[in-house]
Order: sequence, then structure tokens, then C-alpha cells
Amino acid sequence: MNLKKEIRVSTLFISLIVSIMTILLLPIFLDFNLASNSLGDSLLNINEIETNSANGVTSVVTYFRGFDTLGEVTILFLSIFGIGLGLDGYRDKLNIFAYENRLLKSSVDILFPLIILFGFYIIIHGHLSPGGGFQGGVIIASAFLLMFLAKGDEFSLNHKIISITEALSGAGFILIGILGVLLVDRFLGNFLPLGTIKELFSGGVIPLIYIFVGIKVSAEITALVEYFIRIKDVR
Amino acid sequence: MIGLIVLAIFITLIILAVLIIENDDLPHSVILFMGFGLGSVILYFIFSAPDVALTEAVIGTGISGVVFLVTLLQIRSKEIKR
Repeated sequence: MNLKKEIRVSTLFISLIVSIMTILLLPIFLDFNLASNSLGDSLLNINEIETNSANGVTSVVTYFRGFDTLGEVTILFLSIFGIGLGLDGYRDKLNIFAYENRLLKSSVDILFPLIILFGFYIIIHGHLSPGGGFQGGVIIASAFLLMFLAKGDEFSLNHKIISITEALSGAGFILIGILGVLLVDRFLGNFLPLGTIKELFSGGVIPLIYIFVGIKVSAEITALVEYFIRIKDVR
Repeated sequence: MIGLIVLAIFITLIILAVLIIENDDLPHSVILFMGFGLGSVILYFIFSAPDVALTEAVIGTGISGVVFLVTLLQIRSKEIKR
């Protein structure tokens, strides 16, 4: 009885506080005008002056919010690390998803380089067209997934090469950030010539960052796919 | 015209979402989920967000569906071998 009373009083108290705060904050929400002078508009205005990148989304992701992208890449790395800790305990692993299909087996040798080329195209043209490091990296990983499905146990990856690639690309990202601190004013600042807008060599440091992010993401997702697709030999 | 297409895709997506939740067959549900991703790709593209559309096409429709399917198959193969 006493306990019930206590819970009721605390609930009443919390709801009172919430309602008071809502009443206090309501004018701020109502005054907020999205149409005039929002953050996105001002960033797009700066984008035309500071970076010669044709894709405004890319310049926000890698230049104005480059530090956030570093955090995202770190989160992805940590999640893959956790999956590796959970699933990498087995020495002799078997690919049980090899799909016996002649059409798939004969077409995968032609499709594999084409998909990888398309992934690198998406990564390198991230500052010109939609896409970028994350999307292109996952496309490259999907090419490796196709190889796993078609070839089965004949195709396996060297984990040492994957981890070295991932570590080097992550270090390259941070190195570019530190060079920005040393040569210009801020972390991930632009220290390269800007070039002409809508050309391949434009945008200063943005394509470099996206190439590093793309290689890192592709290595991570490829490792993830291999962890999931191989299973311990139970025979 | 484009409004009608958007409306049709919205209704299809709602029906697909209900089907995904209510389906008892899990691989079937995963394939419906990939179809849901495809519909949302078209919606993102119509609403002029091609970056998000590309991300959804690659991650939502491609890799996550495959990871779901592979996980389901792994669980089943372990159950069969026991």
C-alpha cells in the first residue's frame, strides 16, 4: 500500500515537471522557422566558396562534419571487431553456402572485376555525383560476397592483408586530419588546391578522405561477410 | 502523375511492412524486407535524395538482406545436424 502510494507520488511529480518544461519550451518550438536561414542553407552557401565540390552532401559529410565521419568509421570498426571476437574462434571453417550453379560459376569471373570497378567509380566520383566512400565500399564487399557464393571453398581471403589494408586506410584518414591541423587551421582542414568545380580533380582534400573511407569500409564489410558466411566444420 | 506514383508506393510499403511483421516464414519475411527496401529506394529518389537512395539500395537491400538470410541458414543447418 505504502509502495503504491510512493510510485504514484513520483509519477505525479515527474509528469508535473514534464508538463512545466513543455509549457516553457513550447514558444521556442513554435518560433522555430525552418524556411529562413537554416543551417543547411548556410552550409550550402559556404560550400560554393570554401570547397569546389559539386556534391553538397559529400562536402558536408567529409569536410564540414569530417570529425563525425571519423566517429562513424570508428563505430563501424568497433562493431566488426566485436563480431570478429564472437565468430573468429574456429580454425577450420567451411563455406556452407557454395551454390552449385553453372551459370553463376561461369559468369562470376566476368562480373567480379566489373563490380569492383563500379565500386571504385562510386568512391572516386563521390564529390561529383551521388555516392561516396560508404556506398562504394559496400559495393566492393558485395563483389566479394558473390565470389563466396559462387566459388565456395576454393576462394578464401587472407585476413592479414585485409586487416593491414584497413589499418593503413584508417591511419591515412587520421594523417590527413593531422596535416590539416599542421598546415591549415583545423582538423581535416583543406591544404590542397581546390581545382575547378565539376572536374575530377576538384574539392581539395574531399576525394582523398572519401577514398580512404571507401577502402576502409570495403575491407570491414568484406571481413564481416566472411565471418557470417563461414561456419565451423561440424562433421 | 508523380503524386499518384508516390501514393501507390506508400500504400505498397505499408502493406509490405504488415506482411513482413505478420509472416511466419522467416526467409520469406527477409525477401519481403528487401522488397520494402527497393520501394523506399524509389521514394528517396523521387524526393530528390539520391545519396540516401544509393545507401539504401546498397546496404538496406543488398548486404543486410544477405546477412539476415545467411544467419537464418546457419541456424537451420545447425538444427538439422543436431
